[in-house]
Amino acid sequence: MSRRQALVVLTALVLLACYASTLRGMVEQWSTDEDMSHGFLVPIVILWVIWKDRERWRELEPQPSWWGFALLAIGGCMQLAAALGVGLFAGAVAFLVSIAGAVLCLGGFGWLRALAFPFVLGLFMLPKLAIVYNQATLPLQLLASRIAAGLLTSAGIGVIREGNILDVGGHRVLVAEACNGIRYLMSLGFMAVVFGYICDSKLWIRLALLAAAAPVAIIANGIRVAAAGWLPVLDAGVPHAIAGWLIFVACLAILVVLRQILNKAQAHDQI
Amino acid sequence: MKRFAVLVVWSALSVGLKAQITLGPTVDTFAVLAGSTVTNSGPTVVLGNLGVSPGTAITGFAGIAPGGPGQVSGTINSANGFALQAQTELTAAYNAAAGAASTGVASADLGGQTLFAGVYTNATSIGITGTLTLNAQGNPNAQFIFQMGSTLTTASNSSVLLINGAQASNVFWKVGSSATLGTTSSLAGNILAQASISFGTGAVLQGRALARTGAVTLLSNSITAPAGLSGPPPPLVTPAPSSLILVFTALAGAVIYQSRKRLARSFGLR
Repeated sequence: MSRRQALVVLTALVLLACYASTLRGMVEQWSTDEDMSHGFLVPIVILWVIWKDRERWRELEPQPSWWGFALLAIGGCMQLAAALGVGLFAGAVAFLVSIAGAVLCLGGFGWLRALAFPFVLGLFMLPKLAIVYNQATLPLQLLASRIAAGLLTSAGIGVIREGNILDVGGHRVLVAEACNGIRYLMSLGFMAVVFGYICDSKLWIRLALLAAAAPVAIIANGIRVAAAGWLPVLDAGVPHAIAGWLIFVACLAILVVLRQILNKAQAHDQI
Repeated sequence: MKRFAVLVVWSALSVGLKAQITLGPTVDTFAVLAGSTVTNSGPTVVLGNLGVSPGTAITGFAGIAPGGPGQVSGTINSANGFALQAQTELTAAYNAAAGAASTGVASADLGGQTLFAGVYTNATSIGITGTLTLNAQGNPNAQFIFQMGSTLTTASNSSVLLINGAQASNVFWKVGSSATLGTTSSLAGNILAQASISFGTGAVLQGRALARTGAVTLLSNSITAPAGLSGPPPPLVTPAPSSLILVFTALAGAVIYQSRKRLARSFGLR
């Protein structure tokens, strides 16, 4: 093992030790919160991306930057604030900031640029920011209820909506907090980013896929709720799980088709 | 001997006939009810009716002068007969909750505990720091009644987790004076407060904020009256499969998509 490799391993171990409590909290949230359980897969995908691009960043000459220590200091302060009660989210952001600082210290801005995409993926394993989540939950519940009611009405099925409760011919459905669609949003957003990378798309196509993921996920969640209202058998259990999964697969298919359309549009422009 | 028999029968009845609190049909439709004023700042969302009686002032909501950022899905009732009837029913529910026979002592901080159905009492105050879990053990009618002599205080980011069929509509917080919900805390149940109820910024209540004599003060909150505006509790739409399953499926699909040529060659398709 070269001196530089030993330094990288040592830095990684020190970071893991310093952020052990934060990482434990993140793993706990991934284990207990089904909206965030994809967090287990994010580090695996990040490691795969780093491995896949190894030729690219290996070619770069390390040019350590003192700015890395500034980032490490900022990360340390954030971690301290998190430990004093600001919360897990601040600690997790501090962890990413500190990794960025360590990369700058060891390899410089060239390495940081080369590892920019894994850092973007790292955002998807951050814990929920409670104040944003709490504010977004109810409007998303109401939006899903509105979309579902609109779809059912458009299909000629009578529905009465009272806030987040749908009454479809006497069959009542409550769109609960957990049905706000954030699970689809997070999962599809992450997959949009990964898909854009796998297909080696242009940056604007990647951004377009990510932007499209939000409305697709929200509408898909509305469709899921509408289906549960229309067919009581889809309320719970295995049929419900299968329906939810199939709708997500359909969302992925929409992203694939969208990417092909955007690719063709780009090719057309180049001609 | 006769006294002993009476005691045994009384004890059996006490255990068998657990206190069941029900809200009246009018107050049941309210998510927020105050005695003096309802004051809101920020984009609060109230799912259910909102009212005040005998006071009259309601500020910070769209639909009532001078307007505001708050939204109410139901009706806004200022010192009308509907709100008065709700207050009468609130008094009955408050007295019933106060009179329920205690089955256990509630510690001053309920955070980190898991409690089963019952009536929990603290002569002074109750606080929640962290997560309080209420476990109905599969009984959707299980009631959780908390009686406190003075205040209910929840810390920032604290929460009440309902598991195994526990319903917010079956949780009652009988507060001897005032309740204060911390910033971004999440509480479940019906707060029956003798005086006032104050919400910290971003606090969420899955239940009802019902104050007999004082004010309800809101700051960018969401309050959802359980079971909608009327009728029996509707079934929940179960959430979608976990994000782990969704992303794992998608990644598996992506791997297959990436390896499609190699797979085709392996199966002799090309």
